[in-house]
Amino acid sequence: MDSTAAVTAGGGADASRRSTRAAGSRLARIRPLIPVGVLILLCIGITLVSPHFATVGNFRRIGISAAIPMVLACGMTFVILLGSIDLSTEGTVAVAAVAFSLLVKNMVNGQNFGLYALPLPVALGSLLGFVNGWVHVRLRIPSLIASLGVGFAGIGIATVVLSGITVRIDDMTVRGIALNRFLDVPFSTWTAIVCVLIAWLVQTYTRLGRWSYVIGGGEDIAKLSGVPVGRVRIGIYTLAGFFYGIGGILCVAQFGQSQALIAQGYLFNVITSVVVGGTALTGGEGGILNTVVGVLLVTVLGNGMILVGVPPYVQQGVQGLLIIVAVALSIDRTRARLVK
Amino acid sequence: MSKLFTGATSRRTLLKATGGLIGAAALPMPFIRRANAADVTLAISLRSLTNPYHADFAKGGQAFGKSVEVLVTEGNSEKGVADVRALLAKSNGNLVLCIDPNDSPDARVIVEDVAKAGGQVVTIWNKPNDLHPWDFGNHYVAHISFDGVQYGKLMGDTLFKAMGDTGGFVGLGGIFSNVPAIERKAGMEQAVAGTGGKVKLLDFQVANWTAPEAFKITQAWVTRFSDDIKGIWAANDEMAIGAIEALRAEGLNGKIPVTGIDGTPPAVSAVKSGEMVGTVDWDPMWIGGMGISLGYNTRIGKIDIEKEPKSHREFYGTGVPVTKANIDSFMEAKKAGEKLDFNDFWGRVQGQIRYM
Repeated sequence: MDSTAAVTAGGGADASRRSTRAAGSRLARIRPLIPVGVLILLCIGITLVSPHFATVGNFRRIGISAAIPMVLACGMTFVILLGSIDLSTEGTVAVAAVAFSLLVKNMVNGQNFGLYALPLPVALGSLLGFVNGWVHVRLRIPSLIASLGVGFAGIGIATVVLSGITVRIDDMTVRGIALNRFLDVPFSTWTAIVCVLIAWLVQTYTRLGRWSYVIGGGEDIAKLSGVPVGRVRIGIYTLAGFFYGIGGILCVAQFGQSQALIAQGYLFNVITSVVVGGTALTGGEGGILNTVVGVLLVTVLGNGMILVGVPPYVQQGVQGLLIIVAVALSIDRTRARLVK
Repeated sequence: MSKLFTGATSRRTLLKATGGLIGAAALPMPFIRRANAADVTLAISLRSLTNPYHADFAKGGQAFGKSVEVLVTEGNSEKGVADVRALLAKSNGNLVLCIDPNDSPDARVIVEDVAKAGGQVVTIWNKPNDLHPWDFGNHYVAHISFDGVQYGKLMGDTLFKAMGDTGGFVGLGGIFSNVPAIERKAGMEQAVAGTGGKVKLLDFQVANWTAPEAFKITQAWVTRFSDDIKGIWAANDEMAIGAIEALRAEGLNGKIPVTGIDGTPPAVSAVKSGEMVGTVDWDPMWIGGMGISLGYNTRIGKIDIEKEPKSHREFYGTGVPVTKANIDSFMEAKKAGEKLDFNDFWGRVQGQIRYM
């Protein structure tokens, strides 16, 4: 009797476990598509309330709005794939933007290198990313603290260099990096598209990209399998810095000015976008295409709330809600043994 | 050295090196302190040096003519208070402080500390409404602020004039709970009421004082209202610039009038180019210099602050409206490096502060 009950109970538990696994796998198959679904639903919803939403002009504006976060998110995606975090974004962008703005025709000094100045901010961004990764890996400091420190240092450098002033750009060729159009789409959007392409190639075809998945999935196993974990980490942070450098250029071209706080507010926008797109903060899951969807979701939501006329004090609440819903839907938490 | 790049450098090595550097830097300190002890210490405390406003604020203090220490709170109230206490201890209360408190409640703690130690303090912008200079003898010298309502309204009027006093406009505000943001918006609303319904506020959004936020919001507005937007009112210049850049992406810059407040150099040049129709210059150099001057002259006895009327102890300073009409003379004056007279104590007093 007892044993039968035990067997039945055991069988029941087994069956139920099997059924959850089946349900889980069915969900697992459509899970990557959930953010896309949410995005489509959001677009339909906004269009129903505001007919202005689905117009060519507005899509172009969304493309412009999404460009800078998209470029920055290209870098952030890889870091988060590792299971790490990068809080240096705003500082790195500030250094790149300030350096760039001081080299092109501006209102503060007499430099005028024009487009020849382009490589420097990218190199500076990469360098800061390298320092970030080096401090994190070689000094064994958690990425949260290492990147926070590098970010503060970056804002500090920008502040010291400018001593608080704002640099206004006069050079319309440089402004053209963001403002000029090709096929009626502004260059800022094209830049973002090219960055996504680069990120996708790195993610798909290079060892750096593949190894970042391996490390994010299980660092110990990766190490035992001979993956040079430290070097990959430093490489990924350098790559992130590379994208932040491009982001700095875009900021200068788009806003026509630079100052130490030029990128203020982008950090959380970018982390939100990456996570909402379905890349897990625990690492190893997601990728650049998820991030594209995430950035579009956050941008469309911001755009849509103003079109629909959501009161400003409600908007932040809606954004917070979106993050929780998106993460709840798109990340498989049944496998997470620990939530901290 | 090669170990630094190849292996894992131990944190101990790094800490030791850092410790050594700090130790070396600290060596000359006793001499520096002795040199300063005889004289009154002048200090300015402000949020950060990352923005033009506070950078000029600090420069103004230094323009007063004596060496001025600059304390930076980095938006951290605790740090702000701790730094002031350290300076009070170091100077033995022989301190003149001009402070832009990080948050209103900080002002009370700092004023009480300075008064107890026997120093002089001038506060700028933020303080609790029930904290008054005349309750602290000559220790709490004065509080200087600017009337957000008056200048918010002035920019509203300037904008509507550029719109031909008719049509719809949109407004960009600062952070909701922030006093200048609330006051400036209230002033703008007064200006709207003054038109008797001819000018309509289409939408008001909060852009957290930043250009990128203002940029995104303005873009969405262009979609939502298209040709109905005849003007954009922004509560500060950063947001005004963000709005202009969004308009530029549509080829609308200079066609839709924009106003800001604060008088930052990019905004001033935008007024010059016709992309903005107005801003208000607070002259932060004057604020920093006058804050130190009032405190110092009270300390050396040149001003008997306790005999001054209340309107000289809690007062609004004067903002300078910058518009198409005076832009050339304004820019020339700035270029020439206007000579500020820090002995003209009450020349820019605009009356006693009112509480909403």
